Amino acid sequence: MASSGDKSKNQSGDQKEKKRKESILDLSKYLEKTIRVKFAGGREASGILKGYDPLLNLVLDNTIEYLRDPDDPYKLTEDTRALGLVVCRGTSVVLICPMDGMESIQNPFISQD
Amino acid sequence: MLPLSLLRTAQNHPMLVELKNGETYNGHLVSCDNWMNINLREVICTSRDGDKFWRMPECYIRGSTIKYLRIPDEVIDMVKEEAVVKNRGRDMKGGRGGQNQRNRPAARGNFGGRTGKPGQGGRNPPFQKQKPK
Repeated sequence: MASSGDKSKNQSGDQKEKKRKESILDLSKYLEKTIRVKFAGGREASGILKGYDPLLNLVLDNTIEYLRDPDDPYKLTEDTRALGLVVCRGTSVVLICPMDGMESIQNPFISQD
Repeated sequence: MLPLSLLRTAQNHPMLVELKNGETYNGHLVSCDNWMNINLREVICTSRDGDKFWRMPECYIRGSTIKYLRIPDEVIDMVKEEAVVKNRGRDMKGGRGGQNQRNRPAARGNFGGRTGKPGQGGRNPPFQKQKPK
């Protein structure tokens, strides 16, 4: 319950705070779209983004996990498994990208070798 | 030269980002924040072993998972011009920080007053010292 006097005093600070808190990632553009998510520890999944919060917790639907080589937790295999509806913990999310437009390609740096 | 100043200056420049998991990402930096979270566009992802490649139109990377970023040499010359402006901003921040700190002890004092027992000099002895009796 800040008085109006307090408010005006803190206004510049609040605005700054807001600017800092504003995420550089606008997840709303991915809502209802399939995104690829990589997690700390090497798990990867894709699913339809149903919801999110500023901490990067995600709700994914029709989620597929991409299974990994049992000997190398960072090496993906062709295998997948269906997870369905999932809440992803934001602190363990490493990377988010849209599935649309993501494709496996040949070595694009080969000319440099 | 602050690392994040350099990174901010490198916006719209191509760069290579290596993550702690060994994957590398080549792309143009779109934006970054104070946690080094970054947005890249026109990205090429290379697997840890360098044997698999993916193209992605854009991606968001959590700053805490970054090992390092390689930035074009010319970017460092562009930071110096901004350095003066950045310092000014920092001075202002310092002033405001002082104001904030002035407010904080009051809150802490209230909290301490609620938990601290009188006659113990304000600080509670560690819990374990009270126990052997």
